[in-house]
Parts: sequence; structure tokens; C-alpha cells
Amino acid sequence: MNINYLAATMVLALTGAFLPVINRLFRISGIQGALISSIGYIVSLFLVLISGEGRSVLKGFFTTDPVSILVGALVLVSSWMVMLVVYWITEKDKFVNELISALMISTAGALLLISANNFISLIIAMELMTMPTYLMVLFAFDDKSFEAGVKYFFNGALAVGFMLFGISLLYGMTGSFDFSALVKNLFSDPLVALAAVFIFAGFGFKITAFPFHFWGPDVYDGTCPGVAALLTGISKSAAFIGLMRVVYEAIPVIAGHFPLILAIIAALTMTVGNLLALAQKRVSRILAYSSVAHAGYTLVAFAALSVPLSVTGIIYHSVAYVFMKTAAFLCFAVLLFVWGARTMDDYKGLGRREPLLGALFLIFLLSLAGVPPMAGFISKVFVFTAAVDAGMTWLALIGLLNSAFSVAYYIWIAKQMYLEEPTLEKPINDSPNKNWILLPLAVMAVLLILFGIWINPVVDASAVYAAKVGF
Amino acid sequence: MVLLSMILLPVLVAPFAWIGEKVNRDFPKYLSLAVGIFLAFCTAYLIVKYPGNGFAFEEFYRIYPPFDFNLHLAVDGISLVLLAIVAFLAITVTLSSWHVERPGAYFFLILIFLGPMVGVFVSLNLLWFFIFWEFTLVPMFFHIGIWGAENRIYAAMKFFIYTHLASIFLLLGIIVLYLSTHTFEFGKILNIHLDPSVAKLVWILMFIGFAVKMPVVPFHTWLPDAHVQAPSPISVFLAGLLLKMGAYGLLRWEIFLFPQTSKFFAPLMAFIAVLTIFYAGFRALAEDHIKRMVAYSSINHMGFVLLGLSALTAAGISAAVYEMVGHALVISLLFMIAGYIHHKTHTWYISELGGIMKKIPGLMTMFVIGVLAAVGLPGTAGFVGELTVMLAAFDYYGWIMVIVPLASALGAGFFMWMLQRAVFGPLREEFKNLATLKELPLVENIPLAMYIAAFIIVGIVPAVVFNLYNPVINTFAQLFQ
Repeated sequence: MNINYLAATMVLALTGAFLPVINRLFRISGIQGALISSIGYIVSLFLVLISGEGRSVLKGFFTTDPVSILVGALVLVSSWMVMLVVYWITEKDKFVNELISALMISTAGALLLISANNFISLIIAMELMTMPTYLMVLFAFDDKSFEAGVKYFFNGALAVGFMLFGISLLYGMTGSFDFSALVKNLFSDPLVALAAVFIFAGFGFKITAFPFHFWGPDVYDGTCPGVAALLTGISKSAAFIGLMRVVYEAIPVIAGHFPLILAIIAALTMTVGNLLALAQKRVSRILAYSSVAHAGYTLVAFAALSVPLSVTGIIYHSVAYVFMKTAAFLCFAVLLFVWGARTMDDYKGLGRREPLLGALFLIFLLSLAGVPPMAGFISKVFVFTAAVDAGMTWLALIGLLNSAFSVAYYIWIAKQMYLEEPTLEKPINDSPNKNWILLPLAVMAVLLILFGIWINPVVDASAVYAAKVGF
Repeated sequence: MVLLSMILLPVLVAPFAWIGEKVNRDFPKYLSLAVGIFLAFCTAYLIVKYPGNGFAFEEFYRIYPPFDFNLHLAVDGISLVLLAIVAFLAITVTLSSWHVERPGAYFFLILIFLGPMVGVFVSLNLLWFFIFWEFTLVPMFFHIGIWGAENRIYAAMKFFIYTHLASIFLLLGIIVLYLSTHTFEFGKILNIHLDPSVAKLVWILMFIGFAVKMPVVPFHTWLPDAHVQAPSPISVFLAGLLLKMGAYGLLRWEIFLFPQTSKFFAPLMAFIAVLTIFYAGFRALAEDHIKRMVAYSSINHMGFVLLGLSALTAAGISAAVYEMVGHALVISLLFMIAGYIHHKTHTWYISELGGIMKKIPGLMTMFVIGVLAAVGLPGTAGFVGELTVMLAAFDYYGWIMVIVPLASALGAGFFMWMLQRAVFGPLREEFKNLATLKELPLVENIPLAMYIAAFIIVGIVPAVVFNLYNPVINTFAQLFQ
């Protein structure tokens, strides 16, 4: 791991750790807190961006390659925007600094997870990413969020249990946790397949793949939407990259048997996510089930793991996903805070009340739906091209049909916002500096459109990674 | 830079329409008019400078060469004709929308729509073609959904989901094509000999996408709803530009690229075309709703376009492109006037109209001229288009196409019957003192007069259109030998 990258995670985690202390000592206001955290984010972002050169440390545990730099930078940007929005929408008396502290530590965990190349460091990074979110889910302080918190905790514990069992099987066979050692010593064996199943199950919980998706919508809906943005956007994208490293770097021997199973899981995940999303009335649940469906699209790329394009598909979809999903939940969070809008009925005419915010929300929804020129479109092109290239045209067709039907609920939100007459008369929290909060969201929208057209950074990083894992 | 500026300028100035509304309510429409005139000047410049054959004004913007994901723009004669339609309709639609409600958002969406629309017709990169193609849906969705008639939300949702679903097949076709050729470039795909079975798969997948947009039976059901609910100027965009995208895509990306496969599927295309012509003709005959009737006659004309394309000869394709021009001009006029009739009499139904010629002779004279052009009166674009298509079809398919002139008679039948019931005859009692039943203001007459002048000019001197693209089509037609 590059020393600058390590420093970036340290800076972020330490800023997060000291934020509540500073608050205890000086009673900082929301704006001051946002400024202090922003400094942490900017320094960390700078360090991640320059981590292409410099000394290497912890070689057997973490690796810094173009993928971890790219995705790390984007995860940082998204997390930064989440921080700004959470400060803006959270009332003062709710331990907001503690929440931001947990957010930053969790993001540091995500940064480590996307660069882990050893099962020990993978587990540690994943727990560092997950542990703070157990607290964050409880943050709404109502019965629903307690229910969500308990559900999330047990599912998370179960996931880690599965994963550790799988890892211990691999360790028993090879005596090593290191990916580079595992890839040399493993051979096609039923026990390896069993271990892979357990590791997949562990990741399946994290990325809400069918049949481990049940907790997802309940938790995303039960907790406050800023936390949901972190969980569905940042944590899931980091888990995608982590799973990608496991599959391509540690256990590529499974490529013979697993594609079909992965393809079936992908098809089921997409279909279940989209069908259930169509049936929802609450916007947060629609977004939650759409995130399940998006896990399915990424799994399509995993199912195509025999072709180099699948790497591009996974990385591009993670990149697009971290922006569009996080930002969509943040838009929902702002609308919930200002207008108290939860259900589809509340969304009627909101686009007229909030033209700019509505337009931004629309950009994110259309990107999730895969409408060009947003990144969500081009990432789907890569994912499904990989599937066709791997000889799974049927899977690509299922995925594309899913994507077409998913438009129905995204455009349904757009319809409620712009084509219907307003039902909500007065905002419940009318803030005078409302337009400031549009800035972070606009940044994400611009980045989303930029990455939808300027594909070079992501594709170059993927090409380097594909060459590294032997394509 | 000309082509890129034609795509980017409308999109970049679009936010000013939205912001400008707050400063001055009239600003957005003048901005939109200025952009329309800008597009017209650019197109005129391109037409004048066009060397006569092949692709010209090539612009190449590198993005990611290994995947061939580059913005490659160029025009040939066919694109130029369609660009001319874009610029012409941009101006007429702006003038027709002069008194629209909420002009800021309305013209914002029009400008957002125009840029990608130009992009569709000038892109030589298949993926960029798709990006432009797909993006045009978004502004149309809001136009129909916000400014449409009573049932607008249903129509807008149906329009978006239906055509998006069709685009998915187009995208899958593009992906399969890319994986077999490793390129998105028109010029490169043209020189690659594709395995026939792959070519057939790609052809069918892409055809579904184009056929829904055109639309042809049985993929047409979104169109009557969208047209009837859309405000009239937007119906003009739908009929004049969106449907042309389907026909243009079919021509550029299927018939030119896969001549042999197209030859294999030509009877299928001809069958669908004849089915469309007859089905839409009979539906129009049975229709009481005046705008829906025009919508079916629009489908009927697109059937002629497909029939011309399916002939796969230079004559057939050039007739089809000519018919596209005629359709854009004639059907636009009819949609506008159908909208005005509803606006003035508050009814859509032919059975509730009657004798309105007596009250608004000016508008109705234009309507009659438009109807005559639509049924193919000599001296108008409708005549030349249908005649050349039929001749090409006879030439290629032989005596079986003898049924097509019957459909033409059917078209004459439903239009004349409608005129007799709705426009001529005694004036109905309830219209005698209707205050709203009066002639249009000048600014709304200008676009109507422009349509009429345009289709008469291209009808009397078809060479102005034919000469532009015939060399191109002749070059490509050698592929079918």
C-alpha cells in the first residue's frame, strides 16, 4: 500500500475521531463542524490523488493500484457530499458530530476495503467500514430505526460469520491469507467451491444480492436517509470492489463453475429488486429496492468473469453507482427534511415547488434508469457488453429488459414531481440558505454526466487492473 | 465545428431560457427562435458548401479510441435533408408556441431537444447515435406530460416506457454488433463482412428499435395516444422529427450497413409496410377524433416510407426519403390545424363539427390544402412521394403491389369524408355565436403558411430535394447489386 493512501485513511479516520472531542471542548456549530470535516476530506482526497507514487508499506495486506485510487477518490467525494447534506438536514441536538465522526471512520474503512489484497486486511477493513454504521442506523432514535438497527446488526454479524468460515476453509487448504499466495496454491476442488460459496454469501449480505436482500430495504427505509445514502451508495460500491478483488485475485479457479450460478443470482436479484420496487409506495423503499436491482446489474458483470470487459463493467458500475445512488438518497433526504415528503403521494408537484432540486433528483433517477448521457447508461453498456461477450446473451437480454421496466418506477417519481398538481402546501422546515445545499448535489450531477461521456479514467484504470490479474 | 456547435449551442443556451423567463416572459421564445434561425443558417451553409456526394464536414473528437467511443460527426445528402427539417420545424414550432403557458420550461425543453436531434442525424458513431437518440425521449416526456391534454400523464408514461423498451433492443443490437466488429464507426462497419447469422440477429434487434419509433404496425400503439395528448406544436416535433429518427436509423444503420441482410428481410419489411398502410388507413376511416385520425394518417404515410425503403433500389430509397420530407411538412400542418379546430370549437369529434368553413374560411382553406396534399394532389409533396414510392415498389415486387394504390384511395376516402362532415356543409347551430370561433392571429398563421409554401415548392420542384441526396443513394445502392 502506498504511504500516501495510508495517510489519507488515517487523516480521515482521525478527523472523524477528534470531531466529537472538538465539539465537547468548543461547542462548534454545524457550519464549523462541516468546515473542519471538509478540511479532513480535502486533505485525504489530495493524498489519495497523489498516491500513485511514494513508498510502499504493508505490502502483503493492501495494494494501491489505479482502481483503488480512482474508486477511493470517488468514494471520498460522495462521502464528503453526504457529510455536507447530513450537517444541513440534521438538527443540532441529535449528536450530529458523532454521526459525522462515524461516517468518516466508516469511509476510511471503505477506502481500506477497496485496496485490501489479503483476507485478514479484508475482514478488518470491512468491519471498520461496518461497525460505525451499526451505530449510525440507530441514529433516527425511533422504534423503526431500532428495528432496522437490530436487523442490520444481526445480518452483518451473520455475513461476517459466513465469510470467516469460508476464509478459514481456504486457510486450511493453503495455510495463507494472502491473495497472491492463494491464487498460486488453489486448484479446482469441491472444498474451494464451498469456501467460495461462503465468501459469496458474506458479500451477498453486504451488496444485498438475492436471497440475502431482505434486510436491505427495511434498514434503508428505517434509518435516516443520510445514513441510507452511505449504506447503499458508498458501502455497497466498496463491497463490489472488494468482491472483485477476491474473485479475480484470490480465487479465479472458480471461473469454471460459478458463472452460471452467478448469472442466475444476478437475474433473480435484478428481477426481484425491480418487481418489488414497482410495488412500493414510499420513495425510500423504491430507492432501496432499486439498489437491490443495481446489485443484480453488477452481478451480471461478475457472471461474465471470463472476459476482460467484465472488470470494466464492475468498476464502471461501481463508480456510477456510488454517485447516483448516494445522490438520489441525499435528494430524498433534503426533500424529506424540507417538505416532509415520504410517499409517492407527497411527491406530487414537488418539482414545481423545488425546480432545481427536482431537476437534480431527476438527473440521478434517469442515471439509475440508464438514460444517456449519464454514467449510469455507459456503465450498463459495459456490463451488458461483458455479458454478451462471455456468451450470456440471454442474461444481457434479461438485464436490459429489467432495465427497461425499471424505468417505469423512476419515471413514476418524475411524473409525481412534475406532472401532478402539488398536494403539500407548506414546507415543514423552510431554511433561508436552501440553495447552498444544492451545491454538493450539483457537483455530483456534473460528475455523473462527466463520467458518462469522458470514459477514459475509469476504462484506463480497469485496463491496468485487467492486465494485472492476467487478462 | 459547425456540426458540434449545432448540437451544443441549443443545449448550452437552454438554461438561459429557464432563467430568462423570470426577467422577461418573452425572452425564452425569442431565444428559441434565434436558435432555430441559427440552425437554419448553419444548414443553409452546409447545403451550399456540400460537395454533392459522400460524407462532408467531418469532425472527429477523440474520447476513447480503443473502444471507438469517439464523437464522429459528418453529413451527407440524406442528413442534410433531415437537418433542414430540424431547422425548419424548430422555427415553425417556436412560432406556433408563441402564446404558450410557462414559456421558460417549455422552451428550455425544446432547446434541450433540438441539440440531440441534430446529433442523431449527423453522428457517424453508433453509440453516440444511440446516446442522442435516447436522450430525445426526456424532453418529449415532459412536453407531453405537462402541456398535454386531459389524458396527458397516461400518454406520457406510455410513450416513455414503450419507446424506451424498444431502445433496449436497439442497444442490445448495438452491443452484439460491437462485439462482432469491435467498432462503432459507420465507415468501419461498412467494410466488415459480418457472419450472416450474426448480421440477421443484429438486424432484427435493431429493427425492433427503429420500427417502434417509426412506427409500424404492430408497434404503433404508443403513437395515437402520444399525438392526441401532446400539444399541437409538440405533435409536430413527434411527427416531423421523432418518427423520422426511426426511418433514418433504419436507412443509415441497417439498410446501408447490411445490404445483403436487408435484402433477406425485404419481403418482411414490405409486408409490414403494406399492413401498416392498410391498417392505419382503415383505423383512420373509422376514427371520429380528428387528431387521432391525423395520427393514423401519419402512420399510414410512414408505411409508405417503409415500403420505399424495403424496395432496396436507388429509386425506392430516394422516394422514401422524399416521402419523409413530404410527411414532415404535410402532417405537421394537419396536426397544427386539428389542434386549432379543437381550440376554437372545444370539440375533437368530427361528428360534433360541421360547416366551420363558413366561420373561419382562412384557416379551413389551409386545412383543405393540407388534406389535399396528404391525399397526394399533384403539385404537392404528397403526390410526388406516394407516386415514386409506388413506382419503386412495383419495380421491385411486381404486380402484387397493385394493392397499394387502393390504400391511397382509402386515404383519399377518409380525408374527403372528414372534410365533408367537419368542414363543409351547413354550419351547426351551436357554432353560430361561438366567440372563440375566429381566425388565428398573424404569428400563428406564419408557420402554417410556411408549411404550405414548403410542400408546394418541393412538390413542384422535387429536384431541390432529390438532387441533394440522389448521388449518395446511388453510391450506396451499388451495394445491393
